[in-house]
Amino acid sequence: MATLLSSSPSSLLFTTLSPPSLPSLSLSSLSLSSTSSISSSASSISLSHRSLSFSSKRPSYSAFAVKASAAEKKKVLIVNTNSGGHAVIGFYFAKELLASGHDVTVLTVGDEASDKMKKPPFTRFSEIVEGGGKTVWGNVDAIGTVLEGLTFDVVLDNNGKDLDAVKPVADWAKSSGAGQFLFISSAGMYKATEEPPHVEGDTVKADAGHAGVEKYISESFGNWASFRPQYMIGSGNNKDCEEWFFDRIVRGRPVPIPGSGMQLTNISHVRDLSSMLTKAVENPSAASGNVFNCVSDRAVTLDGMAKLCAKAAGLPVEIVHYDPKSIGSDAKKAFPFRNMHFYAEPRAAKDVLGWKSSTNLPEDLKERYEEYVKIGRDKKTMKFDIDDKILESLKAPVAA
Amino acid sequence: MAGSSVAAVQHNFKHYPSLSLLPSSHSTFCGTKFITSIQYKRKVCQPKGALNVMASSSKKILVMGGTRFIGIFLSRLLVEEGHQVTLFTRGKAPVTQPLPGEADDAYNAFKSKILHLKGDRKDYDFVRTSLAAEGFDVVYDINGREAEEVEPILDALPNLEQYIYCSSAGVYLKSDLLPHREVDAVDPKSRHKGKLETEALLESKGVNYTSIRPVYIYGPLNYNPVEEWFFHRLKAGRPIPIPNSGLQVTQLGHVKDLATAFIKVLGNAKASKQVYNISGDRYVTFDGLARACAKAGGFPEPELIHYNPKEFDFGKKKAFPFRDQHFFASVEKAKEELGIVPEYGLVEGLTDSYNLDFGRGTFRKAADFSTDDIILGKSLVLS
Repeated sequence: MATLLSSSPSSLLFTTLSPPSLPSLSLSSLSLSSTSSISSSASSISLSHRSLSFSSKRPSYSAFAVKASAAEKKKVLIVNTNSGGHAVIGFYFAKELLASGHDVTVLTVGDEASDKMKKPPFTRFSEIVEGGGKTVWGNVDAIGTVLEGLTFDVVLDNNGKDLDAVKPVADWAKSSGAGQFLFISSAGMYKATEEPPHVEGDTVKADAGHAGVEKYISESFGNWASFRPQYMIGSGNNKDCEEWFFDRIVRGRPVPIPGSGMQLTNISHVRDLSSMLTKAVENPSAASGNVFNCVSDRAVTLDGMAKLCAKAAGLPVEIVHYDPKSIGSDAKKAFPFRNMHFYAEPRAAKDVLGWKSSTNLPEDLKERYEEYVKIGRDKKTMKFDIDDKILESLKAPVAA
Repeated sequence: MAGSSVAAVQHNFKHYPSLSLLPSSHSTFCGTKFITSIQYKRKVCQPKGALNVMASSSKKILVMGGTRFIGIFLSRLLVEEGHQVTLFTRGKAPVTQPLPGEADDAYNAFKSKILHLKGDRKDYDFVRTSLAAEGFDVVYDINGREAEEVEPILDALPNLEQYIYCSSAGVYLKSDLLPHREVDAVDPKSRHKGKLETEALLESKGVNYTSIRPVYIYGPLNYNPVEEWFFHRLKAGRPIPIPNSGLQVTQLGHVKDLATAFIKVLGNAKASKQVYNISGDRYVTFDGLARACAKAGGFPEPELIHYNPKEFDFGKKKAFPFRDQHFFASVEKAKEELGIVPEYGLVEGLTDSYNLDFGRGTFRKAADFSTDDIILGKSLVLS
């Protein structure tokens, strides 16, 4: 009953619920022993209890095939970044682990009172608590103090981009006896290729900070794995992805895409990343020593993404191509995706973990658009200074 | 055991890329093991995950076609495995021809065993009577284009064990989401709709069929100017004109890997009524392909010229041998279900093709740079 498989795109995952007594049904009371049979029955007890109370509030649960995991219950620490595209990974992962019956602590880097906490997914961290998890804040340099007395089976660093940031976490994890160390790396470390896709084992940029981390953890831990994501969509995202397209489409503005628009990329629903990580936690020996491209198993072109967003919105789209050199230094800020083929495939996860992708962009984007409108972002006043510059340079008229 | 034999095959291949194509002492198809112990060792060469081939007994196999490209390699493998192989062709191409670099005795052994049924497959009455008279266990349909061509074959062979069809990834509906997977939408209006209709017919007839969808096939003896197109220009020291951005992603599959895949589905219950994409396990951009061909032939890095095809009128000629779009398919299904893994990387495979074919001075189509010259502005009108 443990694993959430999200084949149903119907409803938003993890909608807020108000469970009256879930915290009291704390998993610690069910952690009688660590044998798998008890933990699976414990999971089934806890989940069936939850489904009794909450099935009406969480219809999406019953739509998912929930598998009994033969894995024992794990104590997992997620060290989570406080901003950026990867922030949402820890959020989904925490909730999936909790739903699978594991014990979860999320250490968000920085200060709980920081302004950064006013953005999703942090604004929804109560869902982690309601799911039975703990959320704490602190700096990685003081991790030993922040987590004093606590031990974990698994530590995921979803924060650092280089060894400076990860080393304190890795060293503490090792000294406190964590059996498995997981790292959210980046598919950006692959060297550009004319023979896509990026496959695990391909040459990476030697000077990439993430490469340094992977090397260090591979030397420090008997059981380690690294996950290289690309771009993500999903409710609770800290960084715009599809929103960039919706912003323009919904206002009838042309969508300026650099180059030919043929560039391939990989845009995954974050639930795919979460499920891959969960598989690694529940199959540690299989996962050990591996690098995993943490992505969906389809590429989409930049033009294709614009078209899919428009289709999801039920609106037309006008794509305009431009040469990024013509706008100079603004080029980087002008467009949220790399102007090149950037496409990794999740071959190791499929081979090694038996993982399957569930991202379905056409369907998932519909859901994303619904939320986009629901939160009123379509009505928000926005400026498109760089777009205007681009369009001016192309002398393309701007729709009113 | 299976794992180590696959490793051995790859090892042998990598060190002897330009030797005899045939599995003699250096096996690219696990040939040696087959020759010495057909009855018992067939399984040895199945990589992890493949179902063991059902029967090690010899089958009576009909190949529709088999004398031009894919079939040349496939028929050799089949003969080596001990099957009785008949090629059905009009006889326009020689029934057998030695492969470049093939040892005389190997060729003669093959030649002595291969059978020929001469006829026009579009003469449906002839197909019916001749096939019924012979009786075959398995049909490999390598050159079928239209569904109606298949009917007489099925009529003539009611006890057919398996119909193995060479379809095409060209049947997939163009999509913004790639790679193409076997479950994806197909295009009933595509140029390859005959292949789709054939697959549908096979499905509807309830026959045990397996359909293979290759992408672009390359390798020695290719009659489609895929690599040859680049080699001509590289040899002539000409720039390579590539339409639009050159970022279009395509995919090439070596003919020997395709032949191996065709062998692996033979008698494989898992492959029953299944469709498989078969090609290389990496994709490549148009620009990248030009550079890979240069590497393969030992040419210096070529000058690539990008042009907008809409600005030119090439008449009936094709200015570039690939569809001007992304076109690639996932080969995961064959890998996961049947353990089929391509052996050739792109540069490796192009080198094999160059060393055994173009590099020896052989090619199918003579160089024609007329469209290049239009693009390069050397002439304004196609004469």
